[in-house]
Amino acid sequence: MNKLILGRYLPGDSLIYQLDPRGKFLITFYFIGIVFLANNVVSYGFLLLFVLFAVYLSKINLGFFLRGLRPMFWLILFTVVLQMFFTPSKTPLWSFGILTLSKEGLIISAYIFIRFVLIIFVSTLLTLTTTPIEISDSIESILKPLKAIKFPVTQVALMLSIALRFVPLLIDETAKIMDAQRARGVDFGEGGLIKRIKSFVPILIPLFVSSFSIAYDLAIAMESRGYKDGEGRSKYRVLSWSMRDTLAAIVMLVITVILLFIRSY
Amino acid sequence: MENIISIKDVTYTYPDSEAPAIKNLSLDIHSNEWLSIVGKNGSGKSTLTKLIDGLIECDSGTIEIAGQIINEENIWEAREKIGIIFQNPDHQFVGATVEDDVAFGLENQGVPRDKMVKEVNEALKMVDMQEYKTRDPQSLSGGQKQRVAIAGVLATKPQIIIMDESTSMLDPNGRKTVLDLIKRLRHEQNMTIISITHDIEETQLSERIVVLNDGQVVKDDEPKSIYDLGPELTNFGLEEPFSSQVASSLRDTIKLPEGYLNEEELIDNVWKSFSKM
Repeated sequence: MNKLILGRYLPGDSLIYQLDPRGKFLITFYFIGIVFLANNVVSYGFLLLFVLFAVYLSKINLGFFLRGLRPMFWLILFTVVLQMFFTPSKTPLWSFGILTLSKEGLIISAYIFIRFVLIIFVSTLLTLTTTPIEISDSIESILKPLKAIKFPVTQVALMLSIALRFVPLLIDETAKIMDAQRARGVDFGEGGLIKRIKSFVPILIPLFVSSFSIAYDLAIAMESRGYKDGEGRSKYRVLSWSMRDTLAAIVMLVITVILLFIRSY
Repeated sequence: MENIISIKDVTYTYPDSEAPAIKNLSLDIHSNEWLSIVGKNGSGKSTLTKLIDGLIECDSGTIEIAGQIINEENIWEAREKIGIIFQNPDHQFVGATVEDDVAFGLENQGVPRDKMVKEVNEALKMVDMQEYKTRDPQSLSGGQKQRVAIAGVLATKPQIIIMDESTSMLDPNGRKTVLDLIKRLRHEQNMTIISITHDIEETQLSERIVVLNDGQVVKDDEPKSIYDLGPELTNFGLEEPFSSQVASSLRDTIKLPEGYLNEEELIDNVWKSFSKM
Protein backbone atom coordinates (compact mmCIF):
# COMPACT_ATOMS: atom_id res chain seq x y z
CA MET A 1 0.00 0.00 0.00
CA ASN A 2 2.86 2.29 0.93
CA LYS A 3 4.52 1.58 -2.40
CA LEU A 4 1.35 2.39 -4.27
CA ILE A 5 0.94 5.91 -2.95
CA LEU A 6 4.33 7.28 -2.07
CA GLY A 7 6.87 4.80 -3.34
CA ARG A 8 6.47 6.14 -6.83
CA TYR A 9 9.16 8.74 -6.55
CA LEU A 10 12.44 7.27 -7.69
CA PRO A 11 15.49 9.11 -6.38
CA GLY A 12 17.73 10.04 -9.28
CA ASP A 13 19.34 12.86 -11.15
CA SER A 14 18.85 13.92 -14.75
CA LEU A 15 17.57 16.84 -16.76
CA ILE A 16 13.95 15.85 -16.07
CA TYR A 17 14.63 15.71 -12.32
CA GLN A 18 16.17 19.16 -12.38
CA LEU A 19 13.23 20.82 -14.07
CA ASP A 20 11.14 23.08 -11.89
CA PRO A 21 8.27 21.00 -10.47
CA ARG A 22 5.75 23.72 -11.36
CA GLY A 23 6.80 23.56 -14.98
CA LYS A 24 6.75 19.77 -14.99
CA PHE A 25 3.33 19.71 -13.39
CA LEU A 26 1.81 22.13 -15.90
CA ILE A 27 3.59 20.59 -18.90
CA THR A 28 2.31 17.15 -17.96
CA PHE A 29 -1.28 18.38 -17.90
CA TYR A 30 -0.76 20.36 -21.06
CA PHE A 31 0.63 17.29 -22.80
CA ILE A 32 -2.32 15.16 -21.72
CA GLY A 33 -4.49 17.81 -23.33
CA ILE A 34 -2.68 17.88 -26.66
CA VAL A 35 -2.64 14.08 -26.90
CA PHE A 36 -6.28 14.47 -27.97
CA LEU A 37 -5.24 16.59 -30.93
CA ALA A 38 -3.53 13.64 -32.60
CA ASN A 39 -5.67 12.08 -35.31
CA ASN A 40 -3.49 10.04 -37.64
CA VAL A 41 -0.61 7.57 -37.66
CA VAL A 42 2.05 10.25 -38.12
CA SER A 43 0.79 12.44 -35.25
CA TYR A 44 0.53 9.51 -32.83
CA GLY A 45 3.95 8.29 -33.92
CA PHE A 46 5.35 11.78 -33.40
CA LEU A 47 3.97 12.03 -29.84
CA LEU A 48 5.16 8.53 -29.01
CA LEU A 49 8.65 9.42 -30.19
CA PHE A 50 8.57 12.58 -28.09
CA VAL A 51 7.52 10.69 -24.96
CA LEU A 52 10.14 8.02 -25.50
CA PHE A 53 12.71 10.78 -25.90
CA ALA A 54 11.59 12.32 -22.58
CA VAL A 55 11.86 8.89 -20.94
CA TYR A 56 15.35 8.59 -22.38
CA LEU A 57 16.26 12.02 -20.97
CA SER A 58 15.02 11.02 -17.52
CA LYS A 59 17.60 8.18 -17.46
CA ILE A 60 15.00 5.94 -15.85
CA ASN A 61 14.66 2.35 -16.97
CA LEU A 62 11.71 1.85 -19.34
CA GLY A 63 10.60 -1.04 -17.11
CA PHE A 64 9.35 1.41 -14.48
CA PHE A 65 7.03 2.97 -17.05
CA LEU A 66 5.74 -0.38 -18.27
CA ARG A 67 5.01 -1.23 -14.63
CA GLY A 68 2.94 1.95 -14.51
CA LEU A 69 0.64 0.40 -17.10
CA ARG A 70 -0.06 -2.64 -14.97
CA PRO A 71 -2.72 -1.20 -12.61
CA MET A 72 -4.56 0.16 -15.68
CA PHE A 73 -4.36 -3.12 -17.59
CA TRP A 74 -8.06 -4.09 -17.32
CA LEU A 75 -9.29 -0.63 -18.14
CA ILE A 76 -7.07 -0.46 -21.22
CA LEU A 77 -8.09 -3.94 -22.35
CA PHE A 78 -11.77 -3.19 -21.87
CA THR A 79 -11.65 0.08 -23.82
CA VAL A 80 -9.55 -1.33 -26.62
CA VAL A 81 -11.74 -4.42 -27.06
CA LEU A 82 -14.88 -2.28 -26.99
CA GLN A 83 -13.53 -0.05 -29.78
CA MET A 84 -12.34 -3.05 -31.74
CA PHE A 85 -15.70 -4.80 -31.92
CA PHE A 86 -18.23 -1.99 -31.71
CA THR A 87 -16.95 0.46 -34.33
CA PRO A 88 -19.60 0.50 -37.07
CA SER A 89 -18.29 -0.07 -40.59
CA LYS A 90 -19.68 -0.62 -44.07
CA THR A 91 -16.95 -3.09 -44.95
CA PRO A 92 -16.58 -5.40 -41.97
CA LEU A 93 -13.84 -8.01 -42.05
CA TRP A 94 -15.89 -10.20 -39.80
CA SER A 95 -19.22 -9.80 -38.07
CA PHE A 96 -21.38 -11.74 -35.67
CA GLY A 97 -24.62 -10.23 -34.38
CA ILE A 98 -23.82 -6.79 -33.00
CA LEU A 99 -20.07 -7.49 -33.08
CA THR A 100 -18.19 -6.20 -36.09
CA LEU A 101 -14.49 -6.31 -36.70
CA SER A 102 -13.27 -3.86 -39.30
CA LYS A 103 -10.16 -2.08 -40.47
CA GLU A 104 -11.43 1.22 -39.02
CA GLY A 105 -12.16 -0.43 -35.69
CA LEU A 106 -8.66 -1.91 -35.52
CA ILE A 107 -7.07 1.45 -36.30
CA ILE A 108 -9.16 3.33 -33.72
CA SER A 109 -8.42 0.78 -31.02
CA ALA A 110 -4.72 1.01 -31.81
CA TYR A 111 -4.95 4.82 -31.43
CA ILE A 112 -6.76 4.48 -28.13
CA PHE A 113 -4.10 2.09 -26.90
CA ILE A 114 -1.32 4.52 -27.83
CA ARG A 115 -3.25 7.35 -26.17
CA PHE A 116 -3.37 5.37 -22.92
CA VAL A 117 0.32 4.59 -23.15
CA LEU A 118 1.18 8.24 -23.77
CA ILE A 119 -0.89 9.55 -20.89
CA ILE A 120 0.31 6.92 -18.44
CA PHE A 121 3.93 7.37 -19.46
CA VAL A 122 3.96 11.15 -19.00
CA SER A 123 2.15 11.05 -15.68
CA THR A 124 4.48 8.29 -14.48
CA LEU A 125 7.38 10.45 -15.61
CA LEU A 126 6.05 13.26 -13.41
CA THR A 127 5.54 11.12 -10.31
CA LEU A 128 8.80 9.22 -10.70
CA THR A 129 10.91 12.36 -10.94
CA THR A 130 9.05 14.67 -8.54
CA THR A 131 8.75 14.18 -4.77
CA PRO A 132 5.25 14.49 -3.29
CA ILE A 133 6.35 17.59 -1.41
CA GLU A 134 7.52 19.20 -4.65
CA ILE A 135 4.14 18.46 -6.16
CA SER A 136 2.39 20.04 -3.19
CA ASP A 137 4.71 23.07 -3.44
CA SER A 138 3.85 23.45 -7.12
CA ILE A 139 0.15 23.24 -6.41
CA GLU A 140 0.58 26.01 -3.84
CA SER A 141 2.47 28.14 -6.28
CA ILE A 142 0.04 27.52 -9.14
CA LEU A 143 -2.96 28.32 -6.93
CA LYS A 144 -1.38 31.52 -5.60
CA PRO A 145 -3.55 33.83 -7.75
CA LEU A 146 -6.58 32.46 -5.88
CA LYS A 147 -5.39 34.40 -2.82
CA ALA A 148 -7.06 37.38 -4.45
CA ILE A 149 -10.46 35.79 -3.81
CA LYS A 150 -9.43 34.96 -0.20
CA PHE A 151 -8.79 31.29 -0.93
CA PRO A 152 -6.45 30.07 1.86
CA VAL A 153 -3.68 28.85 -0.45
CA THR A 154 -0.84 28.53 2.09
CA GLN A 155 -3.05 26.72 4.58
CA VAL A 156 -4.26 24.30 1.92
CA ALA A 157 -0.67 23.64 0.87
CA LEU A 158 0.35 22.95 4.46
CA MET A 159 -2.65 20.66 4.84
CA LEU A 160 -1.60 18.81 1.73
CA SER A 161 1.97 18.36 2.86
CA ILE A 162 0.88 17.21 6.33
CA ALA A 163 -1.56 14.79 4.74
CA LEU A 164 1.24 13.37 2.62
CA ARG A 165 3.43 13.12 5.71
CA PHE A 166 0.74 11.20 7.60
CA VAL A 167 -0.14 8.61 4.96
CA PRO A 168 2.64 6.21 5.99
CA LEU A 169 1.90 6.89 9.66
CA LEU A 170 -1.76 5.93 9.22
CA ILE A 171 -0.75 2.85 7.25
CA ASP A 172 1.40 1.78 10.22
CA GLU A 173 -1.51 2.50 12.52
CA THR A 174 -3.82 0.36 10.35
CA ALA A 175 -1.35 -2.52 10.46
CA LYS A 176 -1.19 -2.22 14.24
CA ILE A 177 -4.98 -2.23 14.62
CA MET A 178 -5.30 -5.20 12.24
CA ASP A 179 -2.76 -7.12 14.29
CA ALA A 180 -4.64 -6.29 17.46
CA GLN A 181 -7.91 -7.51 15.89
CA ARG A 182 -6.23 -10.64 14.56
CA ALA A 183 -4.94 -11.38 18.06
CA ARG A 184 -8.60 -11.33 19.13
CA GLY A 185 -9.47 -13.83 16.44
CA VAL A 186 -10.65 -11.76 13.50
CA ASP A 187 -9.83 -13.32 10.14
CA PHE A 188 -9.63 -10.68 7.43
CA GLY A 189 -9.14 -13.04 4.51
CA GLU A 190 -12.16 -15.27 5.15
CA GLY A 191 -15.75 -15.30 3.96
CA GLY A 192 -17.61 -13.63 1.14
CA LEU A 193 -17.32 -10.07 -0.04
CA ILE A 194 -19.93 -8.72 2.40
CA LYS A 195 -18.28 -10.47 5.33
CA ARG A 196 -14.89 -9.14 4.36
CA ILE A 197 -16.15 -5.60 4.05
CA LYS A 198 -17.86 -5.96 7.42
CA SER A 199 -14.63 -7.09 9.05
CA PHE A 200 -13.10 -3.74 8.09
CA VAL A 201 -15.50 -1.76 10.29
CA PRO A 202 -13.59 -2.69 13.47
CA ILE A 203 -10.46 -1.32 11.76
CA LEU A 204 -11.92 1.90 10.51
CA ILE A 205 -13.41 3.05 13.78
CA PRO A 206 -10.22 2.79 15.87
CA LEU A 207 -8.28 4.26 12.95
CA PHE A 208 -10.63 7.21 12.88
CA VAL A 209 -10.28 7.74 16.62
CA SER A 210 -6.51 7.49 16.58
CA SER A 211 -6.15 9.83 13.65
CA PHE A 212 -8.05 12.42 15.66
CA SER A 213 -5.73 11.98 18.60
CA ILE A 214 -2.68 12.24 16.31
CA ALA A 215 -4.15 15.40 14.83
CA TYR A 216 -4.65 16.83 18.30
CA ASP A 217 -1.05 16.07 19.30
CA LEU A 218 0.24 17.56 16.10
CA ALA A 219 -1.84 20.70 16.50
CA ILE A 220 -0.45 21.21 20.01
CA ALA A 221 3.10 20.62 18.75
CA MET A 222 2.61 23.07 15.88
CA GLU A 223 1.17 25.73 18.13
CA SER A 224 4.00 25.31 20.64
CA ARG A 225 6.41 25.94 17.77
CA GLY A 226 4.67 29.20 16.99
CA TYR A 227 2.32 28.29 14.14
CA LYS A 228 -0.42 30.91 14.05
CA ASP A 229 -2.53 30.87 10.92
CA GLY A 230 -0.18 30.56 8.01
CA GLU A 231 0.14 34.29 7.42
CA GLY A 232 3.40 36.09 8.01
CA ARG A 233 5.40 32.92 7.54
CA SER A 234 8.54 32.73 5.51
CA LYS A 235 9.29 29.73 3.32
CA TYR A 236 12.24 27.40 3.65
CA ARG A 237 11.71 25.62 0.36
CA VAL A 238 12.01 27.77 -2.70
CA LEU A 239 11.31 26.81 -6.27
CA SER A 240 13.53 28.37 -8.86
CA TRP A 241 12.50 28.80 -12.46
CA SER A 242 15.51 28.73 -14.74
CA MET A 243 16.37 28.97 -18.41
CA ARG A 244 15.84 25.24 -19.02
CA ASP A 245 12.28 25.46 -17.69
CA THR A 246 11.48 28.21 -20.15
CA LEU A 247 13.09 26.07 -22.86
CA ALA A 248 10.93 23.10 -21.86
CA ALA A 249 7.85 25.30 -22.21
CA ILE A 250 8.99 26.48 -25.64
CA VAL A 251 9.57 22.88 -26.71
CA MET A 252 5.97 22.15 -25.75
CA LEU A 253 4.76 25.03 -27.91
CA VAL A 254 6.82 23.81 -30.86
CA ILE A 255 5.38 20.32 -30.37
CA THR A 256 1.86 21.78 -30.47
CA VAL A 257 2.55 23.68 -33.68
CA ILE A 258 4.04 20.59 -35.36
CA LEU A 259 1.10 18.54 -34.17
CA LEU A 260 -1.43 20.99 -35.58
CA PHE A 261 0.45 20.96 -38.84
CA ILE A 262 0.53 17.14 -39.09
CA ARG A 263 -3.12 17.01 -38.12
CA SER A 264 -4.34 19.19 -40.97
CA TYR A 265 -1.89 17.80 -43.45
CA MET B 1 18.89 32.98 41.85
CA GLU B 2 16.80 34.65 39.19
CA ASN B 3 13.45 33.06 38.38
CA ILE B 4 12.77 32.42 34.71
CA ILE B 5 9.30 31.04 35.34
CA SER B 6 7.16 32.05 38.24
CA ILE B 7 3.79 30.38 38.70
CA LYS B 8 1.51 31.97 41.29
CA ASP B 9 -1.61 30.37 42.67
CA VAL B 10 -2.71 28.83 39.40
CA THR B 11 -5.92 26.80 39.07
CA TYR B 12 -7.14 25.09 35.94
CA THR B 13 -10.14 22.86 35.30
CA TYR B 14 -10.68 21.10 31.97
CA PRO B 15 -13.95 22.13 30.32
CA ASP B 16 -15.40 18.62 30.48
CA SER B 17 -14.42 17.79 34.04
CA GLU B 18 -15.48 18.83 37.53
CA ALA B 19 -12.33 18.44 39.59
CA PRO B 20 -9.54 20.91 38.81
CA ALA B 21 -6.46 19.42 37.12
CA ILE B 22 -4.25 22.07 38.76
CA LYS B 23 -5.16 23.44 42.21
CA ASN B 24 -3.69 26.70 43.57
CA LEU B 25 -0.28 25.71 42.36
CA SER B 26 2.70 27.98 42.94
CA LEU B 27 6.17 27.19 41.69
CA ASP B 28 9.33 29.12 40.89
CA ILE B 29 11.74 27.82 38.31
CA HIS B 30 15.22 29.29 38.37
CA SER B 31 17.23 30.36 35.41
CA ASN B 32 19.55 27.65 34.08
CA GLU B 33 18.37 24.93 36.44
CA TRP B 34 17.39 21.39 35.48
CA LEU B 35 14.08 20.64 37.12
CA SER B 36 12.27 17.32 37.09
CA ILE B 37 8.52 17.21 37.48
CA VAL B 38 7.23 13.82 38.52
CA GLY B 39 3.88 12.41 39.52
CA LYS B 40 1.38 9.68 38.72
CA ASN B 41 -0.64 9.71 35.54
CA GLY B 42 -3.31 12.36 35.90
CA SER B 43 -1.39 14.30 38.54
CA GLY B 44 -1.38 17.39 36.31
CA LYS B 45 2.15 17.29 34.88
CA SER B 46 1.20 17.70 31.23
CA THR B 47 -1.50 20.22 32.08
CA LEU B 48 1.16 22.29 33.79
CA THR B 49 3.37 22.34 30.66
CA LYS B 50 0.44 23.38 28.53
CA LEU B 51 -0.32 26.19 30.97
CA ILE B 52 3.29 27.37 30.94
CA ASP B 53 3.29 27.47 27.14
CA GLY B 54 -0.09 29.21 27.08
CA LEU B 55 -1.63 26.38 25.08
CA ILE B 56 -4.42 26.48 27.63
CA GLU B 57 -5.35 29.48 29.72
CA CYS B 58 -5.43 29.29 33.52
CA ASP B 59 -8.73 29.97 35.32
CA SER B 60 -7.04 31.97 38.06
CA GLY B 61 -3.52 32.92 39.10
CA THR B 62 -0.64 34.19 37.02
CA ILE B 63 2.30 32.74 35.13
CA GLU B 64 5.35 34.89 34.63
CA ILE B 65 7.90 34.01 32.00
CA ALA B 66 11.21 35.88 31.91
CA GLY B 67 9.72 38.68 33.93
CA GLN B 68 6.50 39.02 31.94
CA ILE B 69 3.08 37.84 33.02
CA ILE B 70 1.66 35.96 30.07
CA ASN B 71 -1.62 37.04 28.55
CA GLU B 72 -3.29 36.81 25.19
CA GLU B 73 -1.26 39.65 23.67
CA ASN B 74 2.22 38.51 24.56
CA ILE B 75 1.72 34.76 24.43
CA TRP B 76 3.45 34.34 21.05
CA GLU B 77 6.40 36.28 22.32
CA ALA B 78 6.55 34.11 25.45
CA ARG B 79 6.22 30.97 23.36
CA GLU B 80 9.34 31.89 21.41
CA LYS B 81 11.27 31.57 24.66
CA ILE B 82 10.03 28.03 25.26
CA GLY B 83 10.62 24.87 23.27
CA ILE B 84 8.72 21.69 24.04
CA ILE B 85 9.75 18.21 23.06
CA PHE B 86 6.75 15.91 23.23
CA GLN B 87 6.42 12.24 23.97
CA ASN B 88 5.64 10.72 20.59
CA PRO B 89 8.31 11.48 18.01
CA ASP B 90 5.92 10.80 15.12
CA HIS B 91 3.21 13.14 16.33
CA GLN B 92 5.39 16.26 16.31
CA PHE B 93 7.15 15.87 12.98
CA VAL B 94 5.60 18.48 10.71
CA GLY B 95 8.02 18.69 7.79
CA ALA B 96 8.36 16.27 4.90
CA THR B 97 12.10 15.98 5.48
CA VAL B 98 14.45 16.55 8.41
CA GLU B 99 15.50 20.04 7.26
CA ASP B 100 11.91 21.09 6.57
CA ASP B 101 10.91 20.07 10.04
CA VAL B 102 13.76 21.96 11.70
CA ALA B 103 12.83 25.02 9.64
CA PHE B 104 9.16 24.93 10.70
CA GLY B 105 9.58 27.07 13.84
CA LEU B 106 11.73 29.58 11.96
CA GLU B 107 9.20 29.78 9.14
CA ASN B 108 6.54 30.60 11.72
CA GLN B 109 8.63 33.50 12.97
CA GLY B 110 9.03 34.76 9.42
CA VAL B 111 12.83 34.48 9.45
CA PRO B 112 14.31 35.34 6.02
CA ARG B 113 15.42 32.33 4.00
CA ASP B 114 19.20 32.95 3.99
CA LYS B 115 19.27 33.18 7.75
CA MET B 116 16.98 30.17 8.01
CA VAL B 117 19.30 27.95 5.94
CA LYS B 118 22.20 28.90 8.19
CA GLU B 119 20.30 28.27 11.41
CA VAL B 120 18.85 24.96 10.25
CA ASN B 121 22.38 23.76 9.51
CA GLU B 122 23.64 24.99 12.85
CA ALA B 123 20.81 23.34 14.77
CA LEU B 124 21.32 20.04 12.94
CA LYS B 125 25.01 20.20 13.72
CA MET B 126 24.29 20.69 17.42
CA VAL B 127 22.28 17.48 17.54
CA ASP B 128 24.70 15.71 15.20
CA MET B 129 22.15 14.96 12.48
CA GLN B 130 23.62 16.90 9.52
CA GLU B 131 24.01 13.86 7.33
CA TYR B 132 20.29 13.10 7.65
CA LYS B 133 19.27 16.55 6.43
CA THR B 134 17.30 15.46 3.37
CA ARG B 135 15.90 12.23 4.80
CA ASP B 136 12.22 11.67 5.39
CA PRO B 137 11.04 10.87 8.92
CA GLN B 138 10.08 7.29 8.03
CA SER B 139 13.72 6.39 7.58
CA LEU B 140 14.75 7.56 11.07
CA SER B 141 14.77 5.75 14.41
CA GLY B 142 12.80 7.09 17.39
CA GLY B 143 15.91 8.57 18.99
CA GLN B 144 16.89 10.26 15.75
CA LYS B 145 13.41 11.72 15.36
CA GLN B 146 13.59 13.16 18.88
CA ARG B 147 16.97 14.65 18.04
CA VAL B 148 15.39 16.31 15.01
CA ALA B 149 12.63 17.60 17.28
CA ILE B 150 15.30 19.02 19.59
CA ALA B 151 17.03 20.65 16.61
CA GLY B 152 13.70 22.18 15.58
CA VAL B 153 13.36 23.65 19.05
CA LEU B 154 17.00 24.80 19.22
CA ALA B 155 16.78 26.57 15.88
CA THR B 156 14.47 29.17 17.41
CA LYS B 157 16.92 29.68 20.31
CA PRO B 158 14.61 29.26 23.31
CA GLN B 159 15.72 29.91 26.91
CA ILE B 160 13.64 27.09 28.29
CA ILE B 161 13.28 23.53 27.06
CA ILE B 162 10.43 21.42 28.35
CA MET B 163 10.73 17.68 27.85
CA ASP B 164 7.26 16.21 28.16
CA GLU B 165 8.15 12.55 28.70
CA SER B 166 10.32 12.89 25.60
CA THR B 167 12.34 9.77 26.25
CA SER B 168 9.54 7.44 27.32
CA MET B 169 8.99 5.95 23.86
CA LEU B 170 12.66 5.44 23.08
CA ASP B 171 14.84 2.38 23.50
CA PRO B 172 17.67 2.62 26.09
CA ASN B 173 20.14 3.67 23.43
CA GLY B 174 17.92 6.39 22.02
CA ARG B 175 17.16 7.60 25.53
CA LYS B 176 20.84 7.85 26.37
CA THR B 177 21.73 9.85 23.25
CA VAL B 178 18.84 12.26 23.85
CA LEU B 179 19.73 12.80 27.52
CA ASP B 180 23.45 13.21 26.79
CA LEU B 181 22.53 15.75 24.17
CA ILE B 182 20.33 17.75 26.54
CA LYS B 183 23.04 17.62 29.21
CA ARG B 184 25.59 19.02 26.77
CA LEU B 185 23.33 21.66 25.24
CA ARG B 186 22.24 22.97 28.57
CA HIS B 187 25.80 23.99 29.39
CA GLU B 188 26.64 25.21 25.90
CA GLN B 189 23.46 27.23 25.46
CA ASN B 190 22.80 28.17 29.08
CA MET B 191 19.25 26.86 29.05
CA THR B 192 16.68 25.98 31.67
CA ILE B 193 15.49 22.40 31.41
CA ILE B 194 12.14 21.20 32.71
CA SER B 195 11.81 17.48 32.39
CA ILE B 196 8.56 15.67 32.98
CA THR B 197 9.33 12.05 33.53
CA HIS B 198 8.62 8.70 35.12
CA ASP B 199 12.21 7.63 34.69
CA ILE B 200 14.25 7.72 37.87
CA GLU B 201 17.54 7.74 35.94
CA GLU B 202 16.45 10.92 34.23
CA THR B 203 15.66 12.65 37.52
CA GLN B 204 19.19 11.92 38.71
CA LEU B 205 20.43 14.38 36.10
CA SER B 206 18.35 17.17 37.57
CA GLU B 207 19.07 19.55 40.43
CA ARG B 208 15.58 19.65 41.83
CA ILE B 209 12.56 17.38 41.78
CA VAL B 210 9.02 18.64 42.12
CA VAL B 211 6.43 15.98 42.92
CA LEU B 212 2.88 16.67 41.80
CA ASN B 213 -0.17 14.91 43.13
CA ASP B 214 -3.77 15.83 42.37
CA GLY B 215 -2.70 19.08 40.78
CA GLN B 216 -0.65 20.26 43.73
CA VAL B 217 3.04 20.33 44.60
CA VAL B 218 3.49 17.79 47.38
CA LYS B 219 7.29 17.68 47.47
CA ASP B 220 9.90 20.09 46.18
CA ASP B 221 13.48 19.22 47.02
CA GLU B 222 16.86 18.14 45.75
CA PRO B 223 16.95 14.59 44.30
CA LYS B 224 18.83 13.10 47.25
CA SER B 225 16.10 14.04 49.73
CA ILE B 226 13.36 12.88 47.38
CA TYR B 227 15.05 9.50 46.98
CA ASP B 228 15.07 9.25 50.80
CA LEU B 229 11.37 8.51 50.54
CA GLY B 230 12.37 5.03 49.36
CA PRO B 231 9.47 2.71 48.56
CA GLU B 232 7.04 5.61 49.02
CA LEU B 233 8.26 6.93 45.65
CA THR B 234 6.01 4.48 43.81
CA ASN B 235 3.03 6.51 45.05
CA PHE B 236 4.34 9.36 42.92
CA GLY B 237 4.76 7.36 39.76
CA LEU B 238 8.46 6.78 40.24
CA GLU B 239 10.45 3.67 40.80
CA GLU B 240 12.82 3.55 43.74
CA PRO B 241 16.41 4.08 42.56
CA PHE B 242 18.32 0.84 42.20
CA SER B 243 20.92 1.73 44.88
CA SER B 244 18.12 2.54 47.29
CA GLN B 245 16.43 -0.81 46.63
CA VAL B 246 19.71 -2.63 47.28
CA ALA B 247 20.33 -0.57 50.41
CA SER B 248 16.95 -1.39 51.91
CA SER B 249 17.45 -5.10 51.37
CA LEU B 250 20.94 -4.88 52.88
CA ARG B 251 19.91 -2.89 55.96
CA ASP B 252 18.89 -6.07 57.86
CA THR B 253 22.35 -7.60 57.56
CA ILE B 254 24.76 -4.68 57.28
CA LYS B 255 24.71 -1.45 59.23
CA LEU B 256 24.26 1.34 56.71
CA PRO B 257 23.82 5.06 57.36
CA GLU B 258 20.27 6.40 57.22
CA GLY B 259 18.96 8.10 54.11
CA TYR B 260 19.59 7.81 50.38
CA LEU B 261 22.94 6.57 49.15
CA ASN B 262 23.92 6.79 45.53
CA GLU B 263 25.66 3.83 43.92
CA GLU B 264 29.16 4.98 44.84
CA GLU B 265 28.29 5.78 48.45
CA LEU B 266 26.59 2.42 48.80
CA ILE B 267 29.60 0.56 47.44
CA ASP B 268 31.92 2.46 49.78
CA ASN B 269 29.76 1.66 52.77
CA VAL B 270 29.49 -1.99 51.89
CA TRP B 271 33.19 -2.61 51.52
CA LYS B 272 33.95 -0.57 54.65
CA SER B 273 31.55 -2.63 56.72
CA PHE B 274 33.16 -5.81 55.44
CA SER B 275 36.68 -4.64 56.19
CA LYS B 276 35.60 -3.85 59.78
CA MET B 277 34.36 -7.41 60.33
